[in-house]
Amino acid sequence: MDAITNLLKIISDFVAELIRSVLGFSPLLAELVTMGIAAVVLITFAALSFMGLTYVERKVVARIQDRLGPNQAGPFGLLQPLADGIKMFTKEDTTPATADRWVYNAAPLVIAVFALATYAVIPFAPGVVGTNLNVGVFYVLAIGSGSIVAILMAGWGSNNKYALLGAFRTVAQLIGYEVPMLLNVLTVVLVTGSMSLIDIINHQTLADGNPGIPHILMLPLPALVFLISGIAETGRSPFDLLEAESEIVAGFHTEYSGMKFALFFLGEYVNALAVSFVFSTLFLGGYAGPILPPYVWILLKAALVFFVFMWLRGTLPRVRIDQMHALNWKFLVPMSTVNLVLVMLVLKLFPTSESAAQAFGGLLVTPWVQTIILAAVNLGVLFTALTLAARAARRFRQAEEEMIMRRRAANLAAAKA
Amino acid sequence: MTLQQVIFIILAIAVIGSALFVVTTSNLFRGALMLIVAFFGVAGFYVLLDNGLFAVAQVMIYIGAISILIIFSVMLTRGMQAMIPRNAQAGSVAIAAALLFLILLLAFGPFRLVVDLSGVPILSALFRTESARVLGGVPWQFANREVPETYIADFGRALVDLNQFLLPFLLVAFLVDAVLAGAIYIARQRKPAEVIAEREAIAKEEAEELAALQPQPTAPTLPQGAIASTADH
Repeated sequence: MDAITNLLKIISDFVAELIRSVLGFSPLLAELVTMGIAAVVLITFAALSFMGLTYVERKVVARIQDRLGPNQAGPFGLLQPLADGIKMFTKEDTTPATADRWVYNAAPLVIAVFALATYAVIPFAPGVVGTNLNVGVFYVLAIGSGSIVAILMAGWGSNNKYALLGAFRTVAQLIGYEVPMLLNVLTVVLVTGSMSLIDIINHQTLADGNPGIPHILMLPLPALVFLISGIAETGRSPFDLLEAESEIVAGFHTEYSGMKFALFFLGEYVNALAVSFVFSTLFLGGYAGPILPPYVWILLKAALVFFVFMWLRGTLPRVRIDQMHALNWKFLVPMSTVNLVLVMLVLKLFPTSESAAQAFGGLLVTPWVQTIILAAVNLGVLFTALTLAARAARRFRQAEEEMIMRRRAANLAAAKA
Repeated sequence: MTLQQVIFIILAIAVIGSALFVVTTSNLFRGALMLIVAFFGVAGFYVLLDNGLFAVAQVMIYIGAISILIIFSVMLTRGMQAMIPRNAQAGSVAIAAALLFLILLLAFGPFRLVVDLSGVPILSALFRTESARVLGGVPWQFANREVPETYIADFGRALVDLNQFLLPFLLVAFLVDAVLAGAIYIARQRKPAEVIAEREAIAKEEAEELAALQPQPTAPTLPQGAIASTADH
């Protein structure tokens, strides 16, 4: 039982020990080889999951839309990703005549590197993590902002109007949605008291005298906003304005074909999967869970979050660009800011540890009571914000309708005269 | 050589190479991209110094924000692609930079050339103490100890400590607030009535311009001598 629970840890320890014994003459070389193998394993995992996810996503979205999806290549169309891969490899690799060659060719590589770099800090099981940074959450957000550069490179390097338009849209969207994402991650960091992903998971388990409450119960609003901004950050439907085919052909990757296009595709899926992993780590307790081994739990949770992504993609229409920015700047950001301040107040007024209660003079409560207070505050903020937004939207629409009616009346009068 | 030293040399080569490319290239966009590589290298130095927080902040701020701003301003420059800017001052600036580097190398580098500034009129007034007046005479201290586990919390406390960095921190916060207020004012939501009134004003103006462009009845021409006579005076 113990062997199954710690399977990943045992394997990684075994490989590290093996390398150390073979390359015993040089600890430097052994360290380098161990790190290299870890990186290759992580990248292979991400690339393979990309292959699998394209198939699953096409099947799931097809079921939602009452279609069959891929069903010709192999049993149940299971070989479809392989066929797509062969197609991508054999396609002609074109370069626009007026492209900035260096920038154009480097962009897909940069986007893939940034997408894969996130996996360095995601914990898959106790002790199985690329590197346990004490600023892990911050690292994930920082690396996410790097893909903006790659998209700008693609848009500019292609020397194509649509590509550049797509790149501009991307930057506005990605920089904009970084703000609510950061604010809500900050809420989780406040509750936990650490930016390390491992500490955040431990805070949701029964270890170290913690109550074992997943953060999604404690902070439902940050979880919701993180999910929305995560979808926007990865440019998935309904926020896929970067590649809106009805408006700007294919956005920043209009000019790319073959393997270079595949790398953009990989970047998108790997990023979305990384967001699912981070979401399950921040809010669903990561690898922690009963009975099943930890690596199964984290995969199950990430798969659940990714399924929500697919579900939204299959159901929602694409939003308009002004609606997208209005949702972010007028709704998510103010709401998250107010929520952050209120969570700070609750944590100080209703502390769970005695030392904090003595230092700041708050009311000592049990973790479950604190959870209930936090959740109540969160939901209160959410419903107040929704009510206010609905009222403002109604007022704006009425003013607009009045204006239209008045102009129509004026036009009619002019036509009669 | 330890692994750290190998990584340091690789990073240093990358940073210096990309920085040189930035100042020598005539393609502004590529220059901005290479600047990102240089920023990344500096983030790598922070990692080598065991300071993950600053490394990640470097990536977040310099690559995620400042580089994007630079790239945007390059892209929005009119006629960027047709233009090949030439730097006429490159030679003199290079000489000045080399001289400055030489002075720094002599004063603070391995040679420690001690320069007594007490005889120089303005500089001696700037440096109060006797020891500060002697350039290069200060032996730099290398603490050579581990970064404490709680360095993030220590950094945070230093920022809100009255005796340390509270004032600069509040000044920066004030500046950011002012910038935010300005941005909101510029991008403020206008009422539909205002927008429509503005559009109507523009349409009216355009109609007037169009009317002005219509072929007018020819104006009476001045006799040739009139212009010539004014030019004479």
